[in-house]
Parts: sequence; C-alpha cells; structure tokens
Amino acid sequence: MQAEVLVHSGNVYMVLAVLSFSSIGAVAKLADLKNSRPSTINLLLYLSSFLVLVVVALVSHSAASPQIVKLLALPFGVCSALAILALQTALRYGNISTSWLAINLSAGIPTVGSILLYHERLNLRKSCALLLIVVALALLWKDKKMEGTPSR
Amino acid sequence: MLVAFVTNGIGPFGLKVLTEKHLDRYESQYLIFWYLGGLLLALLAFGFRNLRFSRWEILLGTAMGFGSLGGQFFTGKALAAGIPGHIAFPITTGGSLFLVALAGILVFKERVGPYGLAGLVIGILSLIVLSLG
Repeated sequence: MQAEVLVHSGNVYMVLAVLSFSSIGAVAKLADLKNSRPSTINLLLYLSSFLVLVVVALVSHSAASPQIVKLLALPFGVCSALAILALQTALRYGNISTSWLAINLSAGIPTVGSILLYHERLNLRKSCALLLIVVALALLWKDKKMEGTPSR
Repeated sequence: MLVAFVTNGIGPFGLKVLTEKHLDRYESQYLIFWYLGGLLLALLAFGFRNLRFSRWEILLGTAMGFGSLGGQFFTGKALAAGIPGHIAFPITTGGSLFLVALAGILVFKERVGPYGLAGLVIGILSLIVLSLG
C-alpha cells in the first residue's frame, strides 16, 4: 500500500517535471514575442535559480563541498548559459518547435563523450538513438532550407 | 543554433564527470556552482548597458529559472519515489519536446513543413530511445 502511494506520487512528480521543462521552451518563445532581450532573460534565469539554490543550501546547512566540485561546475554552467543565450537569440529567426528539438537533440553529445572519454559500451539502443539524432538533425536542416526557398 | 546545440550538449556532461570522480553525493552543491557559472556568463553578456528591465523580462526570465530548477527538482523527486530512470527520463524528455512542439504549432501558430514534422517525430523517438540507454 505504501509502495503504491509512493509510485503514485512519483507519477505526479514526473508530470510536474515535464511541465517544468516544457515551460522553459514555451516561455522562451513568449519572451521573444514580447521583444525581451536575450541577455536579460538569460541573466534573470540564472540569477533566480542561483539565489533559490543558495537560500536552500543556507537553510539546510549543505553548502560545503570540495574545491574540485566548484571548479568542475563553473565551466559547464558557462556552457549551459551560452546555450540558453544562443537559443533565445536564434528564436528571432526560427520556430520554437524545431529549435527546442534541435537543442534537445544535443543530448547525444554527453553520450558520445561518455563513449570516447570513459569507454562506455555502445549498445544497440544507443547506436540506434545516435543514428536517429543525425537523421532528425538532417530533416530539420532540410526543413530550414526549404523555408528559405521561395515557392513557385 | 549550432552554438546552442554544442554548448547545451556539453553543459550536462559535468554531472557525468562528477559521477566518474565518485563525487555525486555533492550534486546539489555542484548545481549551485553550475548556476553560478551560468550567472557569470550571463552578467558578462548582459554588459550593463541598459539597466532597465521590462515587467515581461522580469516575469519571463524568472519563470524560466523556476522551470529549469523545477524540472531538475521534480525529476529527482520522481526517481526518489521509485519511478525507474528508464521510465522517468524518456517521459520527461519526450514529454517536454512533445508539449513544446504542440505549443509552437497550436498556441504560437508556427508553420512547420513536412521535413520539420518528420524531424520532430524522429527526434522525439531518438531521445526516448537514448534515455532508455
């Protein structure tokens, strides 16, 4: 009975996670429609998230960590902010539906990194997924190219 | 979009490095500095040329921040509640892609050609397969 309740609450959390992640894409499009500056949106996104996490860490007394954790996190955080900034800027020239997909397809990069750097085994599922990512990117590129071609 | 694609792919890889170095118990502390790194880049890009924020910018920028944190928080809670990773990750990734594509087409009235639609279907499928590992 307790396990059933736990899995049920897990389903609710999963729906909330989907809605949270989706809100980033939808709000990014809305920000573009409202002529918001990409650099301002990016700044407020990271400022609000950082402040919330700092407050949580201070309240729960869990801010201490080895130096290596901090040094590791900073450059990857920089990369992520650069991605959001580039996406927000790119939205001026493209759709959110295809841009959001394109940015999410980059999930293949950590997989390739894990295979190259940590010699993770490339199983059939991963191989198929990486192949499908390439096909999807090619289709999106073709779609973008067709968009620029005048119809006869 | 190429910059967004490459940097967005590199961004989460730090968590893999953290795990490989057996430091994954510091994940929440890692996230603080991950967002701090993002904040530093954002401050640099902002440049302080125009310090006036519109009401929409404050509302939407903060909403995106909460969306980002909420997504990570609720995924973690779902996993902690016993939902296996091979179910949680495909649903959160595929679900958010589907909803954003749907919002783009139905709410924002975006026009997506046949190649784009095919790309969307194959792309969502590829990420579901990738999440299944």
